[in-house]
Amino acid sequence: MSDMAKHAGTDVEAPARASRAPRTRRFSDPRRASFPVLLVFLVPALAIYFGLTAYPAFRTIYDSFFTIEGMERIPVGFANYVALWQDETFWVAVRNTFIWAFVAPILDVATGLLLALALYAGVPFARFLRIAWFTPVLLSYVVVAILWMWIYNYDWGVVNELLRAMGLGDLARSWLGDPNTALAAVIVTHAWKWAGFNMVVCLAAIHSLPREVLEASELDNCGWGAKLRYMIVPMLKPTLLNLYVLAFIGKMKVFDLVWIMTGGGPLWATETVSTYVYKRAFNWNTFDLGYPSAIAAVWFGVVCAAVILLNKIFKSKDRLEY
Amino acid sequence: MTYQNAQPHGIKPFKPLPRLFGRGALALVIGAYTVYTLGPFLWLATMSVRNTGEISADHYAWPSPFRWEQFRVAWVDSAFDTYFWNSAIVVVTAVAVVTLVGAAAAHALARYRFRGNRIIYGILFSSIIFPPQITLISLYQILVDYNLYNSLTGLTLVYISLQLPLTVYLLEGFFARIPQDLFDAAKMDGYGDIEIFRRIVLPIGMPAIATTLILNFIQLWNEFLFAVVLISDPEKRTLPIGIRAFMGDHFQDIGMIAAGVMISVIPVIIAYAFFSEKLIRGMTAGAVK
Repeated sequence: MSDMAKHAGTDVEAPARASRAPRTRRFSDPRRASFPVLLVFLVPALAIYFGLTAYPAFRTIYDSFFTIEGMERIPVGFANYVALWQDETFWVAVRNTFIWAFVAPILDVATGLLLALALYAGVPFARFLRIAWFTPVLLSYVVVAILWMWIYNYDWGVVNELLRAMGLGDLARSWLGDPNTALAAVIVTHAWKWAGFNMVVCLAAIHSLPREVLEASELDNCGWGAKLRYMIVPMLKPTLLNLYVLAFIGKMKVFDLVWIMTGGGPLWATETVSTYVYKRAFNWNTFDLGYPSAIAAVWFGVVCAAVILLNKIFKSKDRLEY
Repeated sequence: MTYQNAQPHGIKPFKPLPRLFGRGALALVIGAYTVYTLGPFLWLATMSVRNTGEISADHYAWPSPFRWEQFRVAWVDSAFDTYFWNSAIVVVTAVAVVTLVGAAAAHALARYRFRGNRIIYGILFSSIIFPPQITLISLYQILVDYNLYNSLTGLTLVYISLQLPLTVYLLEGFFARIPQDLFDAAKMDGYGDIEIFRRIVLPIGMPAIATTLILNFIQLWNEFLFAVVLISDPEKRTLPIGIRAFMGDHFQDIGMIAAGVMISVIPVIIAYAFFSEKLIRGMTAGAVK
């Protein structure tokens, strides 16, 4: 993500400024603005940022050292963090979120890439298909969750109906009610929503690949398997990794879908850190906002560290030049 | 890889297909995936015009008759009109404000040189990765302190702050690519800084601004977590939490839930039918370079 900051522009045009020295005071350097002008442009954004993002974030971290019940604040030092360390539910939530965040993006990105390749291979109605496959991205998690709760319904859901129709009725089960399948079921739903997003991004990247290289491979009678493995995937690597990181961030935060579909159950099988924070803060009648603040603070650190780490790992690999 | 030699030159207009499947299998896979993405949605659409009794009899039957009054009932009797207008007011206000504020900041960061430019950009940008919980609990307390809890104004303010980093990030990238010559010429003509922003940056940046408008609109229209925490009064529910609450109360009333869900989806689908390319570009703006 940080490479996006490169095309920021100000540095690129530095020579232009130097050659265009101001002739009079009145036509001053257009790259500079007086302090009040900068304030007018920047203060609203900064006020919103500091008031509604930075201050609440710091306050959450500060609050994590207290027990807060209503108006009452009791400083407890690191007690919340110690309790968190021993909280089994928290660790289950961490495990589930990590499984989701590290494994599921592979599913998303791979599906997206394969769909993009199918469209690139020149199937008829490619324009329509691209639009159709993208539709789930626009639906809200509430809508997607309700739809898939019906799809997974034990008595009349599509999945079980299909299994019974194929004579595999034994496999029919309450997909969201069974601790063994609940997490996978929710992950599949999440992938259903996001595959189209990855498809569009991959397709755009494939179209921007240099034609000569792909045409040369055709002259060399290079099969699709080989082309995919030795050319397309390596050349798309920056895009694919970028998509992986985006998906990863999204999944570290996942809340809506899980909350509506399973509420974190059954037996904590789909509990994620987000749903657990929500439960501790607003749902269970524990009335303490200090402990969930501690969870949020820890998770904030974990997400930031993971994103920085992923960027470092992916950056260190040389980009393929073409 | 024996298929390597079987590369007929006759199908040059099409790019070569994967030989390991062949055209028929590929078409089958593509057809299956299309059913997989659109099927659930069409199923929902059929259920929204059937009543729950009919649905229980057969969940997959074609609607006959089409009960369009389901939508009227959902709209009027099940309070989906309230949810719809609450959503509309909050989202439209938040999107308008965040676009203006974000565009102003993006312009200053993209155009002017000043000490701390990149630091301010970095600060605004980095909060994109923040998990929402880090602000959620405190925002709840802050809004309670300022009497903005359980109010659409409070929710709007929070929505503005949620979309600000992305807006600044996207618009900064676009604005930085506007040629400096335009600004030099404008200065020569005696335009002030505010006028430049209003009469050059906003008109020229309109395609980029439209993209961020769309992205912000869809994301906020679908937003659930902050709405569910910051709104408790049924009169003030937005569509996502309204649907969720309705489902909690009427778990068995599938036909009515489907109609309510359709009400929340229809604006998005209509917009998608007319501006599909713009919507796709808007939603993927951060990821496509």
